[in-house]
Amino acid sequence: MEVLKEKVEEEEAAEREEAAERAERGEKTLRPVEVRREEAPLTQEALRDLEKKLSEILVPGKISISTKDTIDILKLPVSYQTNTPKEEHLLQVADNFSRQYSDLCPDRVPLFLHPVNECGLPKFVSTTLRPTLMPYPELYNWESCAQFVSDFLSMVPLPDPLKPIVQQQEKAPAKKYAIKPPRDLSSKFEQEQEMKQQEQIKAEEERRLREEEERLLEAEKAKIDPLHGLRVHCWVLVLSGKREVPETFFIDPFTARSYSPQDDHFLGIESLWNHKNYWVNMQDCWNCCKDLVFDLGDPVRWEYLLLGTDKPHLSTTEEEDTGMNDDEDLDNLCKDDKDKSFDMPSSWVEQIDISPEAFETRCPNGKKVIQYKRAKLEKWAPYLNSNGLVCRLTTYEDAECTKTLEIKEWYQNREDMLERKQINKVTGLNIDYFKPGHPQALRVHSYKTMQPGMDRVMEFYETARVDGLIKREETPKTMTEYYQGRSDFLSYRHINFGPRVKKLVLNSAESNPRPVVKITEQFSRNPAKPADEDVAERVFLILDERIQLRYHCREDHITASKREFLRRTEVDSKGNKIIMTADMCVSFEVEPMEHTKKLLYQYEAMMQLKNEEKLSRHQAWESELEVLEILKLREEEEEAHTLTISIYDTKRNEKSKEYREAMERVMHEEHLRQVEAQLDYLAPFLAQLPPGEKLTRWQAVRLKDECLSDFKQRLIDKANLIQARFEKETQELQKKQQWYQENQVTLTTEDEDFYLSYCSQAMFRIRILEQRLNRHKELAPLKYLALEEKLYKDPRLVELLKVFA
Amino acid sequence: MNRLCNSMEPRVMDDDMLKLAVGEQGPREEAGQLAKQEGILFKDVLSLQLDFQNILRIDNLWQFENLRKLQLDNNLIERIEGLENLTHLVWLDLSFNNIEAIEGLDALVNLEDLSLFNNRITKIDSLDSLVKLQVLSLGNNQIGNMMNIIYLRRFKALRTLSLSGNPIAEAEDYKMFICAYLPDLVYLDFRRIDDHMKELAEMKHQYSIDELKHRENLIQARLEDEQARREELEEHKAAFVEHLNGSFLFDSMYAEDVEGSKLTCLPGVSELLEAYKDKFVIICLNIFEYGLKQQEKRKVELDTFNECIHEAIQENQEQGKHKIAKFEEKHLLSLSAIRDESELTKLEKKIVEYSGDITELFNVLMTLEMQLVEQLEETINMFERNIVDLVGLFIENVQSLMAQCRDLENHHHEKLLEISINTLEKIAKGEFDEDLPDDVRSLFVDKDTIVNAVGASHDIHLLKIDNREDELVTRINSWCTHLVDKIHKDEITRNHKRVKEINQYIDHMQNELDNLECSDLID
Repeated sequence: MEVLKEKVEEEEAAEREEAAERAERGEKTLRPVEVRREEAPLTQEALRDLEKKLSEILVPGKISISTKDTIDILKLPVSYQTNTPKEEHLLQVADNFSRQYSDLCPDRVPLFLHPVNECGLPKFVSTTLRPTLMPYPELYNWESCAQFVSDFLSMVPLPDPLKPIVQQQEKAPAKKYAIKPPRDLSSKFEQEQEMKQQEQIKAEEERRLREEEERLLEAEKAKIDPLHGLRVHCWVLVLSGKREVPETFFIDPFTARSYSPQDDHFLGIESLWNHKNYWVNMQDCWNCCKDLVFDLGDPVRWEYLLLGTDKPHLSTTEEEDTGMNDDEDLDNLCKDDKDKSFDMPSSWVEQIDISPEAFETRCPNGKKVIQYKRAKLEKWAPYLNSNGLVCRLTTYEDAECTKTLEIKEWYQNREDMLERKQINKVTGLNIDYFKPGHPQALRVHSYKTMQPGMDRVMEFYETARVDGLIKREETPKTMTEYYQGRSDFLSYRHINFGPRVKKLVLNSAESNPRPVVKITEQFSRNPAKPADEDVAERVFLILDERIQLRYHCREDHITASKREFLRRTEVDSKGNKIIMTADMCVSFEVEPMEHTKKLLYQYEAMMQLKNEEKLSRHQAWESELEVLEILKLREEEEEAHTLTISIYDTKRNEKSKEYREAMERVMHEEHLRQVEAQLDYLAPFLAQLPPGEKLTRWQAVRLKDECLSDFKQRLIDKANLIQARFEKETQELQKKQQWYQENQVTLTTEDEDFYLSYCSQAMFRIRILEQRLNRHKELAPLKYLALEEKLYKDPRLVELLKVFA
Repeated sequence: MNRLCNSMEPRVMDDDMLKLAVGEQGPREEAGQLAKQEGILFKDVLSLQLDFQNILRIDNLWQFENLRKLQLDNNLIERIEGLENLTHLVWLDLSFNNIEAIEGLDALVNLEDLSLFNNRITKIDSLDSLVKLQVLSLGNNQIGNMMNIIYLRRFKALRTLSLSGNPIAEAEDYKMFICAYLPDLVYLDFRRIDDHMKELAEMKHQYSIDELKHRENLIQARLEDEQARREELEEHKAAFVEHLNGSFLFDSMYAEDVEGSKLTCLPGVSELLEAYKDKFVIICLNIFEYGLKQQEKRKVELDTFNECIHEAIQENQEQGKHKIAKFEEKHLLSLSAIRDESELTKLEKKIVEYSGDITELFNVLMTLEMQLVEQLEETINMFERNIVDLVGLFIENVQSLMAQCRDLENHHHEKLLEISINTLEKIAKGEFDEDLPDDVRSLFVDKDTIVNAVGASHDIHLLKIDNREDELVTRINSWCTHLVDKIHKDEITRNHKRVKEINQYIDHMQNELDNLECSDLID
């Protein structure tokens, strides 16, 4: 933004001196903070802001301020280069206002009223705002809009945060582009202050050099800003009221963060403006912005520049105040009266235009790096990186950003639905997060290595899986699975593996699964069964051939039934196999039951459990296989990192692009055909006749005959043409054949191949020509008859020819 | 018991036959060996097949209480009987018998599949309790009346029906009729009913079906109405103020009061009575409303109490479960440690330690239980006091309202007496010129007679009021006593159960340890 272009420098100098004096008196000063006021349609306002910034950024880009000469002023619209009479008038009004203001408030900083634009022309600040409605829904609400603006802008710090003043003193033709907050006017006193503080900084730096440790500690703590209270920032203020904005708040355009007026960072407000008016704060800012009343209709608190424009909360005292103003400034009375009806001229800037590409790209060149304390944030536009990376946050252990602590990466449009990656460099733990839709319903995958059989946790979207698996945790010796919503009520399965048996015969890695030592399964309560028959937990101790069951606890009990089966294949004294003995099943029953005492019952229960044990072991084996499969798939996905393209994205989606182009081509051809159909076959012949006259019958007949004979000639010509080409091809082929027969012996294989391919092509051409000729011969009479018929029916000839007939 | 053993043909279902069948149809192989070794109890049998046995009479099945499937087809059975105990039966096959009427199936509420194919049945009925019926096979019988189909409309789950081979199946309209009247049927005579058929049938019989449906709906609505009224009355009874929401009590006062009704024809009495009735009914309504309110209060009180008790018990149970879970965790380790221990001294030490743990667990659990008992006792006593207070207050207030009724009655009595005496005087003086019925006039012979008559009426009224009041008080008091008794009893039962549970568990643990010890020592 421009620095003020003051006409009366002396005045300003005096002001500054006064300001210095006042400050020296130790008064509570109004901290100069320029805040652009924003009304409820904040999208538009923010966009204006954006546009303004854009108009500055587009050319200089991220390059330093000195590149201002690169702006091609001549290419800018006329409104940038000249002032309309109305604008001139407004500037006069503003000057007048400024004079009165400096008279009335000599101890305040001069107003920021009409900075010069890129063409060196003073423009009133309000006219630099142009509310524009954009076609992007993201820009309708302030959060996303502000986020966009902050992404779009790159912050380039001024060489000196308080420097602009010097430039102004030097009266440099204001061509300086300060896009950003740390910009503006301050007083000599402030400069002195700054000098002092600079000295302080130097002293501090020396101290820092002396004590490294202390410096670090200092840095740790919230440092006292040496320029505290000297900076003048430009902020967006959103007033409460419209569009359900409950409270007034500030937006920092560079971080897209909102701040309450109660925030300690805001020391005071100098003036506000929007596209309609300009207000000067007349309230005391001794308590920062905390006590400010944002009733812009109150002329005691907010001195307006233009009367008669929109004043949201106009109060009754308004008339009085204006009168007082008039009294004090008699010679401007008439002018003021006129001012009352003076409207803000329409904005001189062009309508902002953000192309969808630019909108999607967001940041300049689609990439943005923000350096934070001990952290770095990188942003990319979607599709810029081939792996879909859109954002990366790196946190560091030290302030110099050399030791990485953690990396978080965000992805978009990945076909494997990868959404976020988190890499902890200290523990080496990687966590991948997926959106719903991964082929294996993967939700989270955390691992240290992709090697199977190591520590790993996989979480799933259980509703997308048939088996209702939520989570599978693995360690080298165990695998734990959590389930939900299964018809068999299984909720948990824990598998202990023994050491892998080394096999000499290595078929493949998969054929040597780890031996299962123990399987623990837990079930939720099945309401259809009584608690005593509903197993809560079963443990298969595979090596011991022991099966332990624990049933669910009854509602009014504290103990649960248990049962333990121990399979022993023994032989009794007679050598018969013992099928089942009472000591093979030890039960504790809360309510002793009769039928469970039966050996038959126990035997059947055990047999069933044996079967289920087999199934569970099989499940364990399948789970292991699945892990391998997922790991393989993940590796492939990482390798391919394919991105998906929405079918609505016609620019990127090749298929839909082709389709669209094909459609367009078809449309075009259709159009051509239509044009052809509308060709007037009589036009060339009618042109020979004197225009505007009615045709005589003789003329009509002649016209018809001429048209027909012409057409006949064209048909014959066409036939001849085809015939000629046909003959030419045939001759050439014959020549070639002859040549071949003569030189057949001496030919190389290459030549022979060439000859053969020529022959087949020539034959093809001849055949086509022949077909065409035949077709032409067939169609020509029909076409001729069709034209004749058409001519008989032509509205221009029909009367005359009918009579003739 | 009718034991006909004279011919080869009919046989009796005796124990031997059943045992044989159970044995033959029982488990096979290893399990079969076990079964033979142990014997199978009839009550454990789930499925029984008794076809082609020439059985004449169903008998001796009472032990098969858990039977799910019973096949009695191809016998000589004439009556369905002896199935009362088989309440779990799902599948019953009685086809190819000589049954003439459907009967004796009332207890089989779980029956889903019933086959009566090839019998001599003429009428479909007595199936009302078979609400889960899905498959009904009645082919090859003597059913001749199409109206039997309508009876089947009540079986909402019925999907398969076979009726071929009956006289009704000859009828031209047979299929259409069934499809129309049983729209939920899927299979008829072993064939799926296609949608087209259904539509046609529906169209054809729409009118009569609509009428039928209307009637069914009316009956349904009436039943629901009655149900609602019954429920309302129950509710009022629970509040002990039934029939007080109207003139019921007042009317009952005059129902047996001959003199009172006679006297209404005196001049001015009917107005008096009208006013009296109005006031009386208002008081009754007051009692009624108050009763409902109090009932609500008692209910809330009881609910709060129950909730509190429930929560306390739940919490206590959780604690107990937690203790046990912790113990079991340790227990597993201890057991395996004892098993693995080889050195005798250490082993003994461990065993002692472990049995110490068991004792401690017992103490902890019992302490928890004792705590709970104490807590509950206090709460129960508090509740008892509260509920007795509530009841007392209710009785008191009802009594005062009843006293108002009595006052009204007294007042009315005085007025009536006055009018009567006046009338008597008038009659005596001959000034009374209105016509009175003879039986009324006969009361006015002398003062004593009329005073007695009025008094008798008054006494009857008071008696009625007193009775109503007594009834209310007695009932609510007994309700209160019962409630409190039940709560005490429940608590005692609960306590007994818990103590038994704990003991049982501890015994089991101790046993396990002892067994281990024994086996170890033997080893």
